[in-house]
Amino acid sequence: MALLELENVSVAYGAIQAVRNLNLEVHEGEIVTLIGANGAGKSSTLRAISRLLKLQAGRIRFDGRDISDSASHAVVRAGIAQSPEGRQVLTKQSVQDNLELGAYVRHDRAAIKDDIERMYRLFPRLGERKQQSAGTLSGGEQQMLAIARALMSRPRLLLLDEPSLGLAPLIVLEIFSIIRELNSEGTTILLVEQNAKLAMQHAQRTYVLEAGQITFSGLSRELLTDERVLHAYLGG
Amino acid sequence: MYTGEYLQNILNGISIGSVYAIFALGYTLVFSILGIINFAHGAVFTLGAYLTYSLAVGHFGIGGLLADMQVPFRLSFPLSLLLGSLLSGVFGVLIERCAFRPLRLRGADPLLALVSSLGVALVTINVIQYLVGSEIYSFPSEVYGDIRPAFTFQRGDTTIVLRTVQLIIFAVNMTVLVLLRYLISCTRVGKALRAVAENSSTASLLGINVDRFILYTFFLSGFLGGMAGGLVGTSFGIAGPYFGVSYGLKGLAVIVLGGLGSIPGAVLGGMVIGLAEAFVPSDYSAYKEAVAFAYLFTMLLICPRGLLGRATIEKV
Repeated sequence: MALLELENVSVAYGAIQAVRNLNLEVHEGEIVTLIGANGAGKSSTLRAISRLLKLQAGRIRFDGRDISDSASHAVVRAGIAQSPEGRQVLTKQSVQDNLELGAYVRHDRAAIKDDIERMYRLFPRLGERKQQSAGTLSGGEQQMLAIARALMSRPRLLLLDEPSLGLAPLIVLEIFSIIRELNSEGTTILLVEQNAKLAMQHAQRTYVLEAGQITFSGLSRELLTDERVLHAYLGG
Repeated sequence: MYTGEYLQNILNGISIGSVYAIFALGYTLVFSILGIINFAHGAVFTLGAYLTYSLAVGHFGIGGLLADMQVPFRLSFPLSLLLGSLLSGVFGVLIERCAFRPLRLRGADPLLALVSSLGVALVTINVIQYLVGSEIYSFPSEVYGDIRPAFTFQRGDTTIVLRTVQLIIFAVNMTVLVLLRYLISCTRVGKALRAVAENSSTASLLGINVDRFILYTFFLSGFLGGMAGGLVGTSFGIAGPYFGVSYGLKGLAVIVLGGLGSIPGAVLGGMVIGLAEAFVPSDYSAYKEAVAFAYLFTMLLICPRGLLGRATIEKV
């Protein structure tokens, strides 16, 4: 059984249809990537899963439970955390407070403390800036903080929205190696990326989204050599 | 102006300024969460004053529908103030549910919420007037029990009067400010509240129930507004149901002067306006309101963000 299952999901912003009849599955332990051009509906899909956007039609199931009508905060409690597009760290609060708020749904104080230390080991730059307000961090550091903060809820499924956006190539590689490391420790990941090639190299499976609909899906290594995908998305 | 008069003015200014501060904090809390001015806050102030009066004195009012009704019990002043403020807090929650939430869920323009809160204010004040009339009341001095109503300090020509109610106001307000500061800066709930204020959709991605925090905020705001009303009522009397409206406007001057959405700004703004008013000579006391707004206009011209308002730093 899939950990996350989207069945015929449609989402709209007013009169603009963002996602239409989307079917998608993520299995426990996988990295799955959702790629596509700007405006294809990738972020809308993640926002729908996190229940920030109302479903026009369709169902979303997580771990067998229907979450289509749940509130956003309830979805986090159920085990889905999102690192949103544009990072959206709490700029006025310190790095440490951002991480503590990431663990808002948990009540095991000692373990939260250990997890914060773990995040500082995983992202040493954050450890050097514990008391700095998050607004003073660089773009790459804010991205790391957004990912670390999402991990603080100990999610079973991590949704990453454009983690490479606007970052220098070296930092992008650093972030992707951390994504792989997190996955090998057991976190299931659904990754939305514009950097299609890099995302596909890290994900077992890929969905290609075009104007709100899935046009291709399958194993990443097969799609990476597929002429049509290559031509449309990988600049080949 | 001789030294005694000077000290007396400062004392009076700090006392009333600290009430303005907690009243204005009620505005600020709602503004920082929703980005909207709650115009019904002045009506909550009126409600708090009448509730405190009824609970402490034992009857509802002189005129109106409830003129001959007795409250079946009488509470001591501190308990009346506390209960009156708690009930005002509950009223704040009702305002949220009736005037703000339905509009928010439909994604309405914030300007509409402003108008709907103004509607709630007028309806509330009219209902109060219908129930208890529009007479002027003052709290009988027995509300403090055996405590003397005032302390007089004299040395040579200098006389300073410290009214008991001023002491109470000051003590209550300092306690409230310290507790609020602790709540917002040091607790998990406070951090979550600040997260909701900064970005509500990010807050909900962290598992924070934003809707519930909005309710907490309105409760707290109503509690503070009601408490300010109770304290002002005790100190100066209740000048009819509409007296909350003029305090409501003054509260706006306080938050704009201090910087919209800034908690220390609301406190500082309250103190500045309280002190400025205290130094208006008694012959001109009818123009006190004008002083508050003169400060407001000057501030808007010199520094539109207010004393402690900050430009928002956006980093892409």
